[in-house]
Order: sequence, then structure tokens, then C-alpha cells
Amino acid sequence: MNKRGDLQMSFGWLFALIAGAFILFLAIYVTVKIIGTSEEEIDTETAAQIGVLLNPLETGYEDIISTPLENFKQETRITNECDEGDEIDEFGSQGIKASRKSFGGKWTDSINTVYFKNKYLFSRENVEGKKFYLLSSGLHYPFKVGSVIVLTSADRTYCFFDAPEEVQLEIENIQKNIEVANCSDESIKICFEKRSNCDIYVEYDKGLGFVEKKGEEERLFFSQNSLMYGAIFSDEKIYECQVKRLMNRVKILSQIYIEKANFVEQKDCNSNVNTELEILKLAIDDFQNSEDIILIDRLVKEAQNKNQNPICKIW
Amino acid sequence: MIRELKNANRKKGQMKVQQMAFMLVAVTLFFAIAGLFIFRLFFAGVNQAGTDIQEENARLLVSRLASSPEFYCGESFAFGESNCIDTDKVMVLMENIDKYDGFWKVAEIQIRRIYPNEGGIECNGLNYPNCDVFKVYSENVDKGREYSNFVSLCRKENAEEELYDKCELGLLLVNYKEFENE
Repeated sequence: MNKRGDLQMSFGWLFALIAGAFILFLAIYVTVKIIGTSEEEIDTETAAQIGVLLNPLETGYEDIISTPLENFKQETRITNECDEGDEIDEFGSQGIKASRKSFGGKWTDSINTVYFKNKYLFSRENVEGKKFYLLSSGLHYPFKVGSVIVLTSADRTYCFFDAPEEVQLEIENIQKNIEVANCSDESIKICFEKRSNCDIYVEYDKGLGFVEKKGEEERLFFSQNSLMYGAIFSDEKIYECQVKRLMNRVKILSQIYIEKANFVEQKDCNSNVNTELEILKLAIDDFQNSEDIILIDRLVKEAQNKNQNPICKIW
Repeated sequence: MIRELKNANRKKGQMKVQQMAFMLVAVTLFFAIAGLFIFRLFFAGVNQAGTDIQEENARLLVSRLASSPEFYCGESFAFGESNCIDTDKVMVLMENIDKYDGFWKVAEIQIRRIYPNEGGIECNGLNYPNCDVFKVYSENVDKGREYSNFVSLCRKENAEEELYDKCELGLLLVNYKEFENE
């Protein structure tokens, strides 16, 4: 009798234990999943907010503007992803991904990238810190093409050494992590003349030149100060991709200006810029990398020279 | 007597198993319903966050959109100060707008001439410049509230064979996409 009772109790307990363990496992699994999804949501929201905060940085008549990006409660990593686009998606896209340092110094595993077609963010692939700076300058090539936005961490200081006066005047006191001439020891040194202790060398001739970085073979070619800043502060992969995207936008805008020139011609506004813009478009079709900027720059200047009719400027 | 006792014990055991099974079903159902409720709340939060970001995007974009190359007056006009939109260029842009799908991440962009006003006539290639509303971009989605910014609308005009710049007062309007909160 007792033996049977024992068996019956054991069965009940066994049943309850299995059911309890199953329910407990389910509860823990769901909780972990919800926490994971919440973290993912926070990271995606942060990335989207960073992208949205780039809107006020669209430059107008002002040449260069800078703004801090702060109020991050935790150490944050911003990942810059660039998609140069294709024949269908001509603008390409700017991807931004954010992750935070969680307990134990591990970065949250962010998988969602937020994409923007109208932004051009120049930076290293991963930029980390609690405070960042955004430096924005307009690219006019030959018309306004977009704003080159440079993202840097406040944890890194950059020092411009021997910079030409026009560059010095532009960046002096613009943001706290950029020094001009009086370099601190820990700063990354950017030289405009070849020196032994330079991290980055810039060959600069009236806005045209290239950037060479210590330990990297490739030269990043630029035209105009905005792209020079982009080349200094970016990784090669990001820079080349963003330049390609900007050139594609030059091509699309060239077509708009060609059609605008035809449109205003009906009002006797004769600009004669169309031939130059067509040639520019063809040259951009063959654009491979930033080295081609040297050729494009000549065509841009020719188009700019044509657009000098004081009563009928197309851009 | 022994058989009756055996039967009573079997019935008692069966009852316990039944009780446990009912309990298990009830607890599983409870967790399923609670889980669904949490997920509903969670995704409503996600949708709201998405809408808030879209709204913030529209609010910030409207203040700087006139500086975007597709609208920007540049040096085309003598009075091309900031917040100036080149409507000749906008007319061309409207014909090429299919390339700009998803470009600004908003639901709608409109430009309205405030003064002078022809009675809200929508602009097209035939009636321009004697019209008021430029429907630049529109997506077939639920739209949130409008954000607006005053702008000058400039174009080239020709009167008595003399070319001149004409600028009028306008309003740039941006609508954002609204995500369903169901």
C-alpha cells in the first residue's frame, strides 16, 4: 500500500517538476528575447536619431559649420556604412549603425542599419565615444552638390600643422578637438609640408591635392576644402564610396541644370552651359576612384567659367 | 473490497493527472496571453518611436530643405539669399522626381505661393508661372501633420525683351510618414 502511495506521490511531483521547469524555461527565454529586442530597438533608434540630427547641417551660403553631438549616456560606437549605389539606385545610401558599451565592456550586438540617401558622412568605419563633433561644409562642384559632414570623436584631437591661411581661417576655433599650429602631444598631426612626426600629410595646391596617411599606400585625392576634410578624417573605403556617391549626384544635378537651361532659354535666358555639363556627365560615367577628380576638376572649372553671364546664371 | 479500493486509487490518480493537465493548459494559456499583451505594448512603442523620428526628421528638414541643391537658388538670382527656392529648377525637378523616391525620407513635399495668390491652382508645365501649388513629392502612405517654413520663390521673367529676377513669398511644407499604432 505504502509503496503504491510513494509511487503516486513521485509521479505527481515528477509531473509538477517537468511542467514547472518548462514554464520557467519559457519565461526566461521570452524575457531574454524581449531584453535583446529592446536593446536592438534602442540602438536602431539612436542610429535613426543621429541621421535625423544631420538635417540642420545642410549648408546654405555659410561655408562651414560645426556642432557637437552629445548627451549619450553610455559609451557609443557609431558605424559608418556607405553603399555607392548602382544604375537603379543612383544616389547610393549612407548607413548608420549604433551600438553601446554594456556591462563588462562588451558592445551591444547591433544588426539594424538605418539608411539615408541624402547624407554624406565622412569618418572612420567605427567612431567611439560619449561625445562627437560634426563638421559640415558645402561642396560646390560646379553647383552645390551636397554637404560633406565629417564625424569625429571628442576623444581624439587633430592638429593642423603649417596649414595654408585659407584653411587655418576656416577651422581655427571651429571645434574643440581641432587644433591649429600649437599641437598637443597626443594629437594626430596633419601636416601640409613633409615632416617626420606627421600622421597625415596633405599636398594642397589652391584647393586641389591629395592626402597620404602613415602606414597606408593609397592617396586620397580631393578638390575643394570640404573633400580635403573628408579625406583627412575618413577611412579610404568610406572616402572613396562617398566621393563616388557625390559624383553620381553631380551627374543627376547636371541633367536637372541642362533641362533648366533649356527651360529658361524660352525666356531668352541663354547660358550655353549645356555642352560643358554633357561632357561632365560623360566623364562621371567613367569615374573609378578619387584619382579621377583631377580630370573632373578641369571640366568643373570649364562649366563654372561658362556660367558667368551675370543676368542668366543657371546655378 | 480490494477491487473497490484499487478502483478508488485509480480514479484518484486519474483526477490528479487531469488536474495537472488542466493546470498546465491554464498556465500556458496565461503566459501566451500575457506574452501577446507585452508584445502588443512593445510594438506599439516601436511604432510610436518610428513616428516620432519621422516627425523630428520633417521638423528639422523643413528648415534646411531650401538649402538642398535641388531647391537652392545659388547665384542664379541677385536676391538669392538663404531660404530661397528656384522655381524654374523645381519645375524641372518635378519632371525627374521618380529618381528621388525615398530620398528625403518624408511623405510629402509641397511649395505654396502665398502672395500673390491665383486661388490655389496646381502648377504644371502649361500654367507655370501663373499657379500657386508645386506638388513636388508625394508618397501613398498615412501622413502626419505638416511642418512649414517661409521661403522666397524666385524665377527668371522676361518683359519687353528684358530679363529680370522675380521673387515672391511662399511656404515650404513637409509631411512625415505616420506608422499605425495598432
